Amino acid sequence: MSTELIKVTINGKEFQVAKGARLIDVCREQGFNIPSFCYYADLALQASCRMCLVRIEKMPKLQTSCTITCTDGMVVTTESEEIEKAQRAMVEFLLANHPLDCPICDRGGECELQEMAFDWGNLEERFTERKNAQPEKYLSPIVANDPQRCILCKRCTRVCDEWMGEDAIEAGGRGANTVIGTFGGWLNCSECGNCIEVCPTGTLLDATYRHQARPWELQQTVTTCTYCSDGCQESVGSRAGEVMRVVARDRYVNGHNGEFLCIKGRFAHTFINDETRLRTPMIRYKKGGKLIPATWDEAVKFATRGLDKAAEAHGANSIAVVGSPRLTNESLYALKKFATELVGTENYTATDAFSLSPFFQNLGGQIATHRDIRHAKTIVLIGGEPEELQPFAGKQIRQAVRNGGAKLVIINSTPIRLKERATQFLHINPETEDAAVLAIFNQAHNELAARKMGVQETELIELRRTITNTEGDVVIMFGGEVSAEAQSLLAQMPYLFNKEGRRALLHPLPLYNNSVGATDMGLMYGKLGATEMLDAAGDSVHAMYVAGSFLPQHLTGREDSLGKLDFLVVQELFETETTRFADVVFPAASFAEADGTFTNSGGLVQRVRQTIPPVNQSKQDWVITAQLSKELGVDFGFQMSASAVFGEIAERIPAYAGLRYPLLKDETNPVQVKHATIEQRDLSQESEAIRARVEKMSDTATKINATPPVGHELFKIGTLTDKLPQMHLLASGNPKPPTLAVSPLYQITVDAGMKREAIGGD
Amino acid sequence: MSEQFTPNNPLPQEAKLPAEIASFSPAVEAEIDAHLAKYPVKRSAILPLMFIVQRERGYLDPPGVAYLADRLGVRITDIWEVATFYSMINTKPVGKYHVQICRTLSCKIMGAGKITEHCAKRLGIKPGETTEDGMFSLSEVECLGSCGTAPMMQIGFDYHENLSAEKVDEILDSCSRGEYRYSMKS
Repeated sequence: MSTELIKVTINGKEFQVAKGARLIDVCREQGFNIPSFCYYADLALQASCRMCLVRIEKMPKLQTSCTITCTDGMVVTTESEEIEKAQRAMVEFLLANHPLDCPICDRGGECELQEMAFDWGNLEERFTERKNAQPEKYLSPIVANDPQRCILCKRCTRVCDEWMGEDAIEAGGRGANTVIGTFGGWLNCSECGNCIEVCPTGTLLDATYRHQARPWELQQTVTTCTYCSDGCQESVGSRAGEVMRVVARDRYVNGHNGEFLCIKGRFAHTFINDETRLRTPMIRYKKGGKLIPATWDEAVKFATRGLDKAAEAHGANSIAVVGSPRLTNESLYALKKFATELVGTENYTATDAFSLSPFFQNLGGQIATHRDIRHAKTIVLIGGEPEELQPFAGKQIRQAVRNGGAKLVIINSTPIRLKERATQFLHINPETEDAAVLAIFNQAHNELAARKMGVQETELIELRRTITNTEGDVVIMFGGEVSAEAQSLLAQMPYLFNKEGRRALLHPLPLYNNSVGATDMGLMYGKLGATEMLDAAGDSVHAMYVAGSFLPQHLTGREDSLGKLDFLVVQELFETETTRFADVVFPAASFAEADGTFTNSGGLVQRVRQTIPPVNQSKQDWVITAQLSKELGVDFGFQMSASAVFGEIAERIPAYAGLRYPLLKDETNPVQVKHATIEQRDLSQESEAIRARVEKMSDTATKINATPPVGHELFKIGTLTDKLPQMHLLASGNPKPPTLAVSPLYQITVDAGMKREAIGGD
Repeated sequence: MSEQFTPNNPLPQEAKLPAEIASFSPAVEAEIDAHLAKYPVKRSAILPLMFIVQRERGYLDPPGVAYLADRLGVRITDIWEVATFYSMINTKPVGKYHVQICRTLSCKIMGAGKITEHCAKRLGIKPGETTEDGMFSLSEVECLGSCGTAPMMQIGFDYHENLSAEKVDEILDSCSRGEYRYSMKS
């Protein structure tokens, strides 16, 4: 869209609008209500619902405003008898086959068709013919389908194609018999549920929330998702202390993700009220004994005594403090403060899959938000698999290419699904991502890198040409495959590629909702990493205070490390491999029960709001930390308010300077933290280290040629996703049940034989 | 969608398709390649390729769909979408003689409804079904562009025009006796 302004007259009033603006958007911005079903911003145009009709002077018939681009001098009428008649006729047609039994429909109360029928529907139905009734059925364990309610706006099919790139759901049949469905009647997709979200009627429904509650009974709280680093804004619907559902519907929440969520964010929330949640603090009075429920006072005293004893016997550095990248900034800050100011230990970390500290220490440019990705002109993706691990980033990339004409260069050892959209795909040998970074950083290494990666040198030259020919934003994204040194190189790349009219932006792809926050709060800058800390257990580390749990990847091969500790304090939601050795376990509150902030991979710091009161006797993580420190004789002075903790973060951490909760109130205008950038610096040491490593790589590695199946990461069972029964069906290969009329949960028993490989961990 | 889903009769196709067809005979593969070469975008060849697969396999069966999706670089749902749109593409097995009666306006006015009823009664099946002996399938299709000679029907690709009940009987009799000869090659 250009910045040139043109004149448009709407209902007798003149407006200056940007040239190329869509008429329906302009009318709505100016406050003229135009009804529509099929129009959905940033999706392909459909113009099938015929609700957005307007009269444009000098055009013979009523026009669909969703397909009209404003031109200079256009004279538009949006309200007249003629238009209303047409719109009323359209609703009458839509209702001809639509059952009028809203009270039994899950969408009742928040249904766009229902609302439209109130405004544009006629009181009496003139159709006496039989309705085209079809039975309800299930399209997958997640998606319930009531085909007769469909008005064929095809939002679901467009979302599936354009957002997810899966084409799993399409319109079959013809004319009056058209139905939304899929080949074989069973959806084998990533089960994101976006088709459910955008459906303006009750055709596609959340099978996990089927007949559970009515929307008006639910208290909708806007919060940030607890799964991946995209930080999607979602609205959690709760009733009487129980989380019933999660939606991103724009009537409740309007975050940077729009109505996009993935299967984890939307459906895997059942862990919050799961009955296996820890109920009370527990103490293991004797090593090898049982965990015995205790009061909070008793457990806090026991924990502090244990930590004190370890510090006295082996010194402050023998105590390790471990956070989790899933916790809020407030909790992580409290832990860091506990470690450095109270205990005075150098051993603190967060249990992340990889550390972003080298990246942030060398940062030489801006972090790309997800909006920047959507409007980028060139995207370079090194490693990573956003469509599985950061689904919203994956969607933004897909749309940038499809709708924004961006060039996408993928450098990956696996032919990931996103490669369908790629302009250039560099299929490299496994574990040679560093070589790619080296070559992008310095062309002198092209020959070596190409040889080790198993690609042609010309491919690297083309890649560089793509970047240097870009007018607009270049976004460089990278996954956890790149080494610490390569992260430093990447962080400095803006100095190489920034120029008049071109910005090089960076976007890391960490795995957890607050991986960036954990780095910002300083937890990732401790002396030891998570695995090193486990190795040091019983040696230089004698006591540990862990919020959350170690990841399976940390614990493999070190299963008994935690047992070597003299004393272990854990705060967790569930009993895990880490609590198995704990001397004291505190029940912690999940994201739905906590107030705080998460910082996403785009550097946006977004609010987490308390949706329900803490389940059982759990407390928020930072409250537990503050309680422990008070018992140890230091009052953090947080006064039981998360905003006070955040206030201190804003004072102490430069990137968060000046921020307060009221400034983060509006999820439509998320705030990006100001990560400090450093001057361009000499990286010869790092590139030399990488070069030396690259030279040792094999010349004759075998490439991975199979594209991994949809959901191979999304459907992995972790501590949290484990609590959603439907997830187990999906993880077991999504078997088609004998009948589609009954929920597959009641038909299929998951047994060991069905389990896919690579299950476990998250 | 032609099949109606009922609880006791789940859709026959499996969502996960067997990659049963690696390729057809060299002659057919050459034909497919020729069609693919005609279009700048591969998936444009979806209709001619569907006809070929249908001709080779009798109907567009799940392995055929998988084969097409693979050849055209699209997803199985896209094939399903197109296949269910066209009445010329059969997603279920059809009988030896596929009687397709036009049901669009001109034919309808000229009595296509009666012709369909007559056929249904004679064959003992409803439109969309196949006789038990596998000889006849009956279906109603959209305009075949022969309005001047309505009502009309199509068997295979043969047109039978200006129909009456007697004329239909004559044609069906010759089919039953095995004397019917196609004049149009598919």
